[in-house]
Amino acid sequence: MRFVPAGTERIFVSGRGNLSDIAELRRQAMAEVDRAADLASLEGVRQRWLGPKGVLTLELRTIGSRPPEERKAFGEAANRLKGEVAERLEARLSALRAAALDLRLAAEREDLTLPPRRVRLGRLHPLTQTIREVSRIFATMGFETVEGPEVEWDHYNFELLNIPQGHPARDKFNTLWISNPLGGDPDRPVLLRTHTSPMQARVMEARKPPIRVIVPGRVYRFEATDAYHESVFFQFEGLAVDDRITMADLKGVLYSFARQMFGGERKIRFRPDYFPFTEPSAEIAIDCFVCGGTGGECRTCGGSGWLEMGGCGMVHPNVLRGVGYDPSKTQGFAFGCGVERIAMLRSGTPDIRLFQQNDLRYLEGF
Amino acid sequence: MLIKVPLSWLKEYVDVTVSTAELAALLHMSGTEVDKIERPGDAWDRVWVGRIAALDRHPNADRLQLATVEYGRGRVKTVVTGATNLVVGAVVPYAETGSRLRDGHGDGAAFMTLEPRKVRGVMSEGMVCSAKELGLGDDHDGILLLDPALPVGAPLAEALGDPVLHLELQPNRPDCLGVVGVAREVAALLRTTLREPALAPVTYGTLPSTALDVRIEDPGCVRFTAAVLENVRLGPSPEWMQRRLAAAGMRPIDAIVDVTNYVMLEFGQPLHAYDARKLRGNALVARRATAGERLRTLDDVDRTLAATDLVIADAERPLGLAGVIGGEDSEISPATRTVALECASFEPRGIGRTATAHLATDVSAAARRFMWPLSADLPALGLARAVQLLTEHAGATLKGATDVYPAPRPRPSVSLPAADFKRVLGMDVSAAEARAALERLQFAVRSDGATLTVMPPAVRTDIAIPEDVVEEVARLVGYDRLPTTIPAGELPLHERHPLPELRERARDLLVGFGLTEIVAPSLIDPAWLEMLGVEGGIEALPPLRVENPTSVDRSAARTTLRASLLDAARRNLRQRAGVALFECAPVYLPRAKDLPEERQTLALVLAGQAEPARDGELWLARPRPYDLHDVRGVLDALAAGLGLQPKPGTEVPAPGLHPSRSRSVERGGVRVITFGQIDPRVAERWELPEATFLAEIDLAGMLEEVTPRVATAPSRYPAAYRDAAFVVEEQVGYGDLEREIRASQKSGLESVALLDVYRGPQAGQGKKSFAVRLVFRSDDGTLADADLEKAMRRIEGRLAHALGAVVR
Ligand SMILES: [Zn+2]
Repeated sequence: MRFVPAGTERIFVSGRGNLSDIAELRRQAMAEVDRAADLASLEGVRQRWLGPKGVLTLELRTIGSRPPEERKAFGEAANRLKGEVAERLEARLSALRAAALDLRLAAEREDLTLPPRRVRLGRLHPLTQTIREVSRIFATMGFETVEGPEVEWDHYNFELLNIPQGHPARDKFNTLWISNPLGGDPDRPVLLRTHTSPMQARVMEARKPPIRVIVPGRVYRFEATDAYHESVFFQFEGLAVDDRITMADLKGVLYSFARQMFGGERKIRFRPDYFPFTEPSAEIAIDCFVCGGTGGECRTCGGSGWLEMGGCGMVHPNVLRGVGYDPSKTQGFAFGCGVERIAMLRSGTPDIRLFQQNDLRYLEGF
Repeated sequence: MLIKVPLSWLKEYVDVTVSTAELAALLHMSGTEVDKIERPGDAWDRVWVGRIAALDRHPNADRLQLATVEYGRGRVKTVVTGATNLVVGAVVPYAETGSRLRDGHGDGAAFMTLEPRKVRGVMSEGMVCSAKELGLGDDHDGILLLDPALPVGAPLAEALGDPVLHLELQPNRPDCLGVVGVAREVAALLRTTLREPALAPVTYGTLPSTALDVRIEDPGCVRFTAAVLENVRLGPSPEWMQRRLAAAGMRPIDAIVDVTNYVMLEFGQPLHAYDARKLRGNALVARRATAGERLRTLDDVDRTLAATDLVIADAERPLGLAGVIGGEDSEISPATRTVALECASFEPRGIGRTATAHLATDVSAAARRFMWPLSADLPALGLARAVQLLTEHAGATLKGATDVYPAPRPRPSVSLPAADFKRVLGMDVSAAEARAALERLQFAVRSDGATLTVMPPAVRTDIAIPEDVVEEVARLVGYDRLPTTIPAGELPLHERHPLPELRERARDLLVGFGLTEIVAPSLIDPAWLEMLGVEGGIEALPPLRVENPTSVDRSAARTTLRASLLDAARRNLRQRAGVALFECAPVYLPRAKDLPEERQTLALVLAGQAEPARDGELWLARPRPYDLHDVRGVLDALAAGLGLQPKPGTEVPAPGLHPSRSRSVERGGVRVITFGQIDPRVAERWELPEATFLAEIDLAGMLEEVTPRVATAPSRYPAAYRDAAFVVEEQVGYGDLEREIRASQKSGLESVALLDVYRGPQAGQGKKSFAVRLVFRSDDGTLADADLEKAMRRIEGRLAHALGAVVR
């Protein structure tokens, strides 16, 4: 008989214990494990039962002194109990740790309504976003985005577009002319391109049909600046040339563009118009998505129910001839639209000047 | 060109069977753009057709009269008026008390509301109105006398409020410059008949050259018809003509001027009238001016003519700039009794050149029309019409007429296969349908089913090729009928564009780093370029100038993005403590006798506070201004993100930047990169903080540095590291140290990280110590201590030799 310290309690262990003693040991051990209220006392319980001098360790050592017929059963029972106690200790340990963590986490409460640590958020300019969107949409229809010079020869801006010197349509373009400080060529006037259309001629000169390109870029007009007009602004040009392209194709491509850009419900309207470099020509409009095309008092469309988007038409045979194409074998369409117009409609931007004033309070809206 | 077409005038030539709004929509959708429908009567409220029942002297004022006006249903009022053109029985506009009218004494734009008031002791209720007060014209000299047949008591808007169509014409349709041309369109649209004015034909060749010698001596004049009219009485034109002119936007003047204007508005063909007695040698000659010839024109300007100017001259001197503006010498005067009328055709290009040279932007109505390709058939029509009207309304008798038309233009005719409609439009239009549409427009059409041969009406000068005919048919059939299809042909070439691709990736990266993109005007104030340098500009090249700028701040094509960025930073820093901005755009570098080089450039600016706090928030923020390492960090990350391997270049000074905190590298004569802190003097000039840092990158130069990415599998073996400190002279840069360390190892050195820079007693005077961590790793196996020792000895040896570095 020995006494083993166990807190205030003493447990009797029979040196010649039998199997019913084992049941008593289980009851005592489990109760102690369950009573341990913190990690330290739990460790004490582990030492007292399973430690090198623990009750069960010592009990197992008595196995040799038992009668041979008892040894097997006793050994199995004691070992099983040892395993059960270890398991119970583990479970209790997890429970105590979880409870302790719960307490800590509860104490670590943060005010989630405080302002966060700020991250500087950059924005892409709305015009860049619009141009990318335009290029992406036309890419789905096989159009390649190309770029061209903004400072341009009269030859490309006008002559090759069937607008020779003295042509009355020149008046419409309010051209800004360039003087070169290094000296210019008096026979070749230089201007700031008044539209992206000179790239029609440049692309056709450089390539052979079939051609499908989209040309975004800056253009310039002698124009007083107000809420709807800028002297420096952006357009995109489209050009498709092969041996069979039709005006219905032009309408289809622009219809698809309008719906991809402004929503699947959009309608498109072609109205006869005049451009020297296309024949037949049309003005493109989409139905107003603010009033649903009903017009009335709608300020977006001015009550017409339609929003004008730009001009288009079938490339004029003189333009094809001018770049060395044979108009009897080649035909195509071209169109041009304002980038700001689209960006204003899409974002509700009320004043075209906002785009180039670069006030961050405006740009951060994108 | 904007023209005004009074509906009542249009109805003289065509029956309008639809509402004005429907008519406008039909015109608009068939290509005649309707800018707006003006309804002059819309502004008239409580204005009636009145009749002067009695006129009495004002008891207290000699110059005033008391007019008793009746205006229906027994309504009678007395008004005090100073007008002198009233008679009993006259039918006049009468405005009741409370109505709103234009102020006849103002510029015509201001309105006033009528109140009853006493004039010299007599109560005046309402008023009788002038044309100006009703917005019907400029005339405020007398009361507008109305057609006596108008029903007294009717609202004036009903009796007189004639809608006016404002049409924005395109230069391919000079035929629509005349009301008759618009009527031709309307007849086609409404499928009704056009009633052209019935003209008594003028017999040409009836004028002996002794009476009027008309000659064309320059091909700038295509056709010259003229007539001599005698016994002309120069009075006012009939009231209906004045009203039409006013409604169409022209001021009535006298019968001769009004008739020439009326014919111009009716057919689109300008005319000019001369006092025949003032023509020396009885001649009208279209010729080039001799350089230096002088002419005093009707606008009271003495002009010196150029050899390029086409003039109409008599036997001795120029009388006017042909088609542009007349001269004073041959002007019609009240004494004129014999009038020579010119109705001619000119080459539009010459007219444009002369009009622009002499009148700048204030081009006359005639010149604006002559700059368009008017039909050479029009002069005969115009002359006949003018003769007819002057005979009817100015008592004139025709002495004779002449027509000089040296090279008559053949009437164009276009043949096209019927299949062209399908070929161009992509929709089926039968030959019969096309023919019907064209005939509505008065085209003569011959068709055998497979081919159409069409001849447009003589006034149409825009039909020359099959596509023109296709458009005519399409616009009458209606563009709405065009189907929507997708091009079916062979797929076109689709190239890659490395520079724009690089630019777009750079944009995305910079946005990711927290910079915001700006787009600034590419035209700037040239003074901005001067403001960028400490003394003078920073660019060697003067910028391209706009010859005719809209304003000085948009008069130079920028050669750098720097000014635009500094300007944007300055303006935004009024609102916030810090900004991080970039722009991607071309700069325009002039080249002699050539277009400029447009170099795609990327530039960025960091200025003010680096911490992205809002509204002065201090919570969590540790405010610090941007520093040089921020801009270097952005550039470093950008290079990493784009996969750039720096290529060697020449270090050059960076004007406008802090000389000790900037760097600029040139390669092949182009600055490929410049960055640093701006010079404090430049900062001050731009009202920017000293903590302003910028970078400018030439994208083509950047493209050269792009190295193809080669992906390698990471080593499976562990790394080992060694820390070491090297003492060097102050002028040795960290970059030198790292370069030499890396050069000493062929493989195995994974990274070099700077831990600290130490200056102080342990380093020694004029020296500093770099502490670095060197990480080694091999692809072939775990490195042994001996390998590391060997590597360290090699590094120490190389640093000692190359930089005089000593291990601390
Ligand atoms: Zn709307």
